[in-house]
Parts: sequence; C-alpha cells; structure tokens
Amino acid sequence: MSISKSGAKSLDLLKKLPRISLVNLGPNPGAKKNEKRRGRGQHGGNRSGRGHKGERQRGNRPRLGFEGGQTPFYLVIPKYGYNEGHSRRPQYQPLTLNKLQYLIDLGRVDPSQPIDLTQLVNSRGVTIQPLKRDYGVHLVAEGAENFSAKVNIEVQMASELAIAAIEKNGGVITTSFYDPRSLCILCKPVPFFTRGQPIPKRMLPGEDLLPYYTDAKNRGYMAELAKIQEARMELARTYGYILPDITKEELFEMLSMRKGPRQIFFGLSPGWVVNMAEKKILKPTDERLISYYNSS
Amino acid sequence: MRCSLYALNRSVVMANMALSCCARMKNGIKILKATGNFSRVGAKMQANYCVSASSSQTYPGITESTEEYKYVERLIPPSSVPTPPKHDQYPTPSGWRPPAAVPPALPYMVRRSRMHNVPVYSDITHGNRKMTIVRKIEGDIWALEKDLKDFLTHTSGTTPLMQVNEVNMSIRIKGSFDKDLKSWLLEKGF
Repeated sequence: MSISKSGAKSLDLLKKLPRISLVNLGPNPGAKKNEKRRGRGQHGGNRSGRGHKGERQRGNRPRLGFEGGQTPFYLVIPKYGYNEGHSRRPQYQPLTLNKLQYLIDLGRVDPSQPIDLTQLVNSRGVTIQPLKRDYGVHLVAEGAENFSAKVNIEVQMASELAIAAIEKNGGVITTSFYDPRSLCILCKPVPFFTRGQPIPKRMLPGEDLLPYYTDAKNRGYMAELAKIQEARMELARTYGYILPDITKEELFEMLSMRKGPRQIFFGLSPGWVVNMAEKKILKPTDERLISYYNSS
Repeated sequence: MRCSLYALNRSVVMANMALSCCARMKNGIKILKATGNFSRVGAKMQANYCVSASSSQTYPGITESTEEYKYVERLIPPSSVPTPPKHDQYPTPSGWRPPAAVPPALPYMVRRSRMHNVPVYSDITHGNRKMTIVRKIEGDIWALEKDLKDFLTHTSGTTPLMQVNEVNMSIRIKGSFDKDLKSWLLEKGF
C-alpha cells in the first residue's frame, strides 16, 4: 500500500506504553489548579481579599452605575427612540446573486422551474424567520458580473442592479408581497398541509408598501404589464445591454408563469385542502366559498 | 359526538332534537330509535364519515382531485443534498469546480464536504487570532503537512505554525490562508 496508515505515530506509542488503569491516569500538568480558599492560611486569611476598612471591606458599596453623586453616565445621555417600533419594521433577508448562482450551479435550485421563496428555503439558500418580523427575501446585486442564469424568480424586494442582471440574462423577476401568515405557509408548506386547513388568500400590502408593489420599476406584482415592458427597455438603455426577446425562447411558458395576487403557491388556488397522506386535493363546491376565495 | 350520545338518556335526546338540527345528530337519533342500542349509533356514524355533496345543508360539499398534486410534490423539501449536475465548462460561473475524476497519486486524500466544497475553513478567536483549518484528510497526514509547509513558506516567506490532529485528521494553521489553500487543493485535483 503506497498510502501509509493514518495516525501511525500515535498507534506506535500506544503499542509501547503500559496498560491503562486508574494508577496511571491523571490530568495534564497545569490542567487543574486548586481553588482560592478565603479566610485560610497566610495568603487567604487576615483580611480575606476584602481590602482595608471602608465600604469595600464592610460590603456596603452603592448600586452599579453610581458615581459618588455626579450625574451618572446612564442618566447624562438623553433617551432617543433608536429601537422604537422595531417590531413594526419589516425585515428582508439578503440574497446575493453570487449565492443564487452558486445554488443553481450545485443543482440545489432548479432554473427550469419558477424560483419561489419556497424553492430557496428548500435548497437551504436562505433562512427566513417570519415570526421575527421577516417579510421575505431581498435580492442584492453582489456578484452581478458573474451571474449568468436564465431564471423566473419571485422575491419580495430587489435592487435595481439585481433586476438588470437577471433581465440581461433573459430572465424574469417579479417582486410580490406576502403577509406574515402567508409567508409562514410559503416557507414551510408541509407543516401547513398537515394541519388540514384550506390554503388561505394572500393579503394585499398595506398603504406603506403599496406604492412599492404598484411601481413597474421594482417589477411589482400589482404593476401594469405594459409599464413593466417599458421599464425593462428603460433599464436596458440605462445599463447599456441588449434586452433579449423572451417570447422566442423554448422556456417562454415557464418564464411567463406568474402567481395571482391572492395565490400563495403555483398551481394551487386558495380554498383548497391538501391531503398529503392520500395524495389528494379537496376543493370546495359551495358557491359562497368559491366566490370568497376567487374574489380579489 | 359519540360520547355525548352515550351520556344522554332517551328522553333528553328527544328533547335535544328540537334544539340541534345537526345532520349527524339526526342520523344518530334515527339509528337509536331503530336499534335501541347506543353502541350501534357510533359505528354507523363512523361509516358515514366522508361527507358527500348530497348530505345536509350545514356541511358544504367537496370534490377530490389528484391532478394538481404534482404542484404539491414540488413544494416538499429534499431530504438529502442533491448531486451537482454536469456542466460543459469548469469552473462554473460561481467559481465551483468538481473534484478530479481520478484522485491524484499522492500519499494523502482530501475529501469534499457534504455540500461538495473544498474543506478549508477559517477560524477566529479573541477577535484577532486568525487560523485556517484543513479537514477531511485521509492517508499520510504528515506528508500533507510537509507539502503545506513548503507551499506556504514559498508564498508568504515565513514558515507558519501548524498543528496536526491525528485523531480528527485535520491540520490547523496559524494565519488566514483559506483562499490560497482552496485554490492549491483545487489545482491538485481534490
């Protein structure tokens, strides 16, 4: 065998040394140090490490932060609402184009299907915590120079350069809103299906996020398609690349797939119940339920 | 449902008929009247579990379908790390390269991690002490240590301190060399 056995030196030592027993087991020198015993002996006794007279020796020191009467530091500095309303601020997990390209290269994300937040979470590319005020994923343009994948991706926020990089490679990007309950369901669909509840309608964005999602520049899901087409051409002119024509692609059908404004999953409508044990989908037939779930 | 019927006696059941017009309760009472036996009521009700569109007005009907189940299958997360697909050109746009098809003829071997990456990691303690770790080594670890020493002396000028852990089969190097070592190992074909 050309490769010598691993750990040869330690094995040789083990062969030569005597048998291990309680007699020859002990800690490494310097590993165990004796504890300090106050009030005993020449060094531990006398004042027992408490100093000479005063509050120190008598154990009567004032509270932490007291500065002898001078206004203490924690009162001098004025209050300011840095963290005020922190639980009402939506947070977005960043996803770089570098990471997206890496996931596609390693086969963890399939570019021949629309890329959703569920696909990104299933590939363990991002970790979303909907209960910690996360509202989704934010596509960031780091690694835009090396990005070369044609994808139909749906994120919650995207920077302008990231949108340009995706469209330059012939892909489609959409930004859409998920309310916290829908986001929980989107990130972890299987525990939701096991609950046996019907798929809920996705709620519309509130008034502060509505302008973002109705703007074609952000490729918002509520923006008009004609304006999105204009914005695509505008962006190509700004960044100086030729916008490829996706209508002539083989994957055009996949690239043009989009979710409805109230739909959480591709292919599954709100109101349906998924039975994973028997691999069936139960759909309601009552008119009132159908009109409720199909209304916008 | 079943427990409540068992607990009530006949007269209370009759009185309750007027109050609760639930179909299941009605069926249960019918069976009770016919058989006079509480135990048969529960059995019958269980048999009628799948509510069809033709039953009472209170429970809306459902239809079952298996066509759209393929969309559900797409949502199930994979239980193991997928093998990377074959590309035409290496390195891939993200800079990844697979290990060489034939392992190099060296006395040691450095396997890929479970995510198919080169097992070189950087460590930092006390905020300023940077180290590099090479893990997943098999074979003659001392030969690898010698080669690493030669390579790093050549690139950085000084000989870095290295610790060989024979039990874990890993090498810890003082200083941060993770990019250099990754490219060096990739060149070797690991």
